[in-house]
Amino acid sequence: MTVTCSEHPASLQGRPAMRRKVADAAALAAGYVALAMIAVPTIWVVAGVLQRAVPGWSWGVLTHTGAAGAGGLENEILGSLVLTAGTLVLAGGVGVLAGIYLAEYATGPAGAVLRGASEVLAGIPSIVLGYVGYLALVVALHWSFSLAAGLVTLAVMTVPYVMKSTEVALRQVPSAYREGAEALGFSPLQALRRISLRTALPGIVTGILVALAISVGETAPLLYTAGFTSANPSAALVHRPIAFLTYAIWTFYNQPSKSAVQLSFDAALILLVIVLLLIVVGRVIVSLSERHAETR
Amino acid sequence: MSLSKRALAAVLVAAGIGLAACGSSSPPSGVGSTSATSGSATSASGSTVSAGSVPGTDLAPPSGTVNLSETGSTLLYPLFQAWAPAYHAAYPNVTITPQGTGSGTGISQAEAATIDVGASDAYLPPSAFTQYAGIENIPLAISAQQINYNVPGIHGHLKLSGQVIAKIYTGKITNWDDPAIKALNPGVSMPNLTIVPLHRSDGSGDTFIFTTYLTDSAPADWTAGFNTTVSWPSVAGALSAEGNGGMVTTCAKTRGCIAYIGISYHSQTQAAGLGEAMLQDKAGDFVLPDMATITSEAAGFIAKTPANESLSLVYGPAANGYPIINYEYAIVMTKQSSASTAQAIRAFLYWALDKAHGSAPRFLDAVHFQPLPPSVVALSDAQIAKIQ
Amino acid sequence: MQRVTGGVAVIPMLALLFIIAVLLAQAWPAILLNGGGFFTHTSFDLGNTYGAIVNTHGVRHPQGASYGVLGWALGTVESSAIALVLAVPVSVFAALAISERLPAYLGRVVGLFLGTLAGIPSVIIGLWGALTIGPLLAHRVYPLLAHLAPKVPVLSFFTGGTGNGQGLLTSGIVLGVMIIPIVASTTRDLVHSVPKLPKEGGEALGMTDWEVARRVTLRWVGPGIVGASVLGLARALGETMAVAMVSGVVLSGSPGSIFAPITTIAATIVTQLDSAFTDTSGFAVSSLAEAGLVLVLITLAVNVAGRLLVRRVASTALPVGRGV
Repeated sequence: MTVTCSEHPASLQGRPAMRRKVADAAALAAGYVALAMIAVPTIWVVAGVLQRAVPGWSWGVLTHTGAAGAGGLENEILGSLVLTAGTLVLAGGVGVLAGIYLAEYATGPAGAVLRGASEVLAGIPSIVLGYVGYLALVVALHWSFSLAAGLVTLAVMTVPYVMKSTEVALRQVPSAYREGAEALGFSPLQALRRISLRTALPGIVTGILVALAISVGETAPLLYTAGFTSANPSAALVHRPIAFLTYAIWTFYNQPSKSAVQLSFDAALILLVIVLLLIVVGRVIVSLSERHAETR
Repeated sequence: MSLSKRALAAVLVAAGIGLAACGSSSPPSGVGSTSATSGSATSASGSTVSAGSVPGTDLAPPSGTVNLSETGSTLLYPLFQAWAPAYHAAYPNVTITPQGTGSGTGISQAEAATIDVGASDAYLPPSAFTQYAGIENIPLAISAQQINYNVPGIHGHLKLSGQVIAKIYTGKITNWDDPAIKALNPGVSMPNLTIVPLHRSDGSGDTFIFTTYLTDSAPADWTAGFNTTVSWPSVAGALSAEGNGGMVTTCAKTRGCIAYIGISYHSQTQAAGLGEAMLQDKAGDFVLPDMATITSEAAGFIAKTPANESLSLVYGPAANGYPIINYEYAIVMTKQSSASTAQAIRAFLYWALDKAHGSAPRFLDAVHFQPLPPSVVALSDAQIAKIQ
Repeated sequence: MQRVTGGVAVIPMLALLFIIAVLLAQAWPAILLNGGGFFTHTSFDLGNTYGAIVNTHGVRHPQGASYGVLGWALGTVESSAIALVLAVPVSVFAALAISERLPAYLGRVVGLFLGTLAGIPSVIIGLWGALTIGPLLAHRVYPLLAHLAPKVPVLSFFTGGTGNGQGLLTSGIVLGVMIIPIVASTTRDLVHSVPKLPKEGGEALGMTDWEVARRVTLRWVGPGIVGASVLGLARALGETMAVAMVSGVVLSGSPGSIFAPITTIAATIVTQLDSAFTDTSGFAVSSLAEAGLVLVLITLAVNVAGRLLVRRVASTALPVGRGV
């Protein structure tokens, strides 16, 4: 792309210097306003949760199960962790393998089709996934509200992110590395495992963390697939509903009882902590790998 | 373990006609949503009456480990939530997992047999019985619905009729000082305050019985029909809220609001300072929902309750009967995946209807439900006996 | 390895095909019966589900059942449009400030904020919208706005009762906050990708920073910004929970005022699916599938357009559809 600066420089000098300075200052001011519009809602949302959760906080919510706006959040916390761990295995496994295929083997139209399908999948609204999950998994397959139904729905939702980040990370591995591996007599598989994947690891892990953050924060698709229960998660994959944190937030926030609203914000706080931890871990990985790359 | 009189009678009948085949029930196989393992028998109760051999009110669940799942009505949910641990304490081998999702979900999952017991505030339509052979709606208790309002300065209970409420929800009456409201409340000084009609934003059994009341009591003014979601006529300033809880909090925050709220939220509507309307029944009396008026209204329907118990209890002819009440239903399929699941469901539902157990005041009072009249219990028991 | 990974790589495509197949199969009776009227009126009327189920053109449905997606689709598009009006200028000015004016460490701080905002689950943003910002706006800001707006055609859309903060404008504002991270970080990356040379050339000509930004940087990344905005739009269109919490979910008709309650397709599905199950003929569930299909098509068209536009300028590292 070329930039055509149609106006002659003379036209710049023709404009009053004062007006240009004012425009420049105004743009700068607009920039600061824009930055404030990013920072203020972020701080406001987080502070709002803290402000409502912290004063009435009791550590007991971590160790007691509850339902209907009373008791604790142990069932929701464990349920969310189980669902997230399941996403790690399912979406992580499928996404990384698929990403490897796209980066290493897929050439031509086949790769483009797979890539396109995955991007389309990423764009399907989550409530539509919940609808299909309910009719197909919960009812037609007779899984009932269950871990399996929730998990498959979350995995379908998050696989595209893992897949894309794996592919991009592998493509960014300098070709010199592979050539070097080849020169050392590595088989292609060895080169992939010992050189490419290792180099691409930070990017892959970041993609997985994004997937985990999405799955732990989702509500709509889980309402109609995971269900809810006051019991802690069991080993049963199907037929047993499983609780999750966002359910508590959504179901209790407008209840008239103070304890229910407190639980809603407790759940929001715990969820925020989990999501922020995932973000921090992601940042640390990225900055460590950058430092690593610099010292190499 | 103390068996109720009904259960005792069943036991005696069973013993008398020589059907007490001890231990004849084979170890149930784990099928469907029920995992059953033999061997963890808890008490002798299981051996008194054989599994499923007597259509009666056998309170004994199967001896193996059984998991029953329940989903549906959010009004029934707190009751199931109280029942589940109590039942588990009585029968440690039976675990009940309740979920509050919505009446529609309860019906649809019971139909699909992905759940053992569905729960619904609404009775099943005739089409459900033809479409899903063996589906039952079994009343468990009687609920009522309050009409609440947030009108500062009004102490005591405003009197309202179905016609006035229908006109409010269709935008024909827009102010609390409307002559029609004044006419029902002589001597009360009504403020000049815009009425904000509040309705549910989610599908709800509460909307179902509320719109049934409007349809029955004011057919000329209310034409939007009755259902869990209806096409609400467009009224300027009208608001919506999610769940009964959302109705209470939104109404408490909105001056001039009127709302329909399940009786199980009675203590919350009181705590929020909402007014509670006396509603005009068919006989012309203005009544509040309490034990006497709910029982009186229900009594008017006992004789009319058909064998399948599919019946609206709204706006009955009884004098001093509160006009918005309903059966709270369990939705169950008669054909179950295994004999032990069927036995567990039967035993649990019998227990739930027993005034010494599940229908005792210690369970029902917390949610302001009333127990079923004995003759309706008999109808429910007969339906429960069909679950095999 | 190739065979194994290749086998796995088709899973997302199979999942997509499965989803579309289920949606189409579910929606088919509704498509047949609702016809073109589905797109030209607004209605969620289950009909008389307690009467006889009737059969029209081979489709079973309760008497009087009527569904129309127009108002929900309008609510979806209008709230998302408001979100864009809010998010795009913020994102562009922020991106320019980060890359052209601020020291690098401040840019990283802003990046931290963007990452955090992107990571906050939508139900928590919904809490803020429903309990904090919505009521605040309804009591302090909207009455002023409604008072200032002249009562003339078009602008009278900005007058009227301001309610309790649940409605079109609040939905748009909350959605705007939610899509700022997508639009802003994509725009920032685009702005970073502009080569130094033309900028330096502009400076050598005596341009002010703003003039360089406007005449060089923005022209360079213009199509990319459109693409970033379209990606944000796609996210806003499909958003469910936050909108269900702040829109008011009013199913009939499109709003006569920017403050009035609305619904969107996604919010309608999540709040009405339970009601739809009470229709034993299955027609209500089918009609919601048709609405879901409409949403998927709108979102898809917007997504594809956005990706094409972004790709023409620069390839971004991560897919930015739903955000985090």
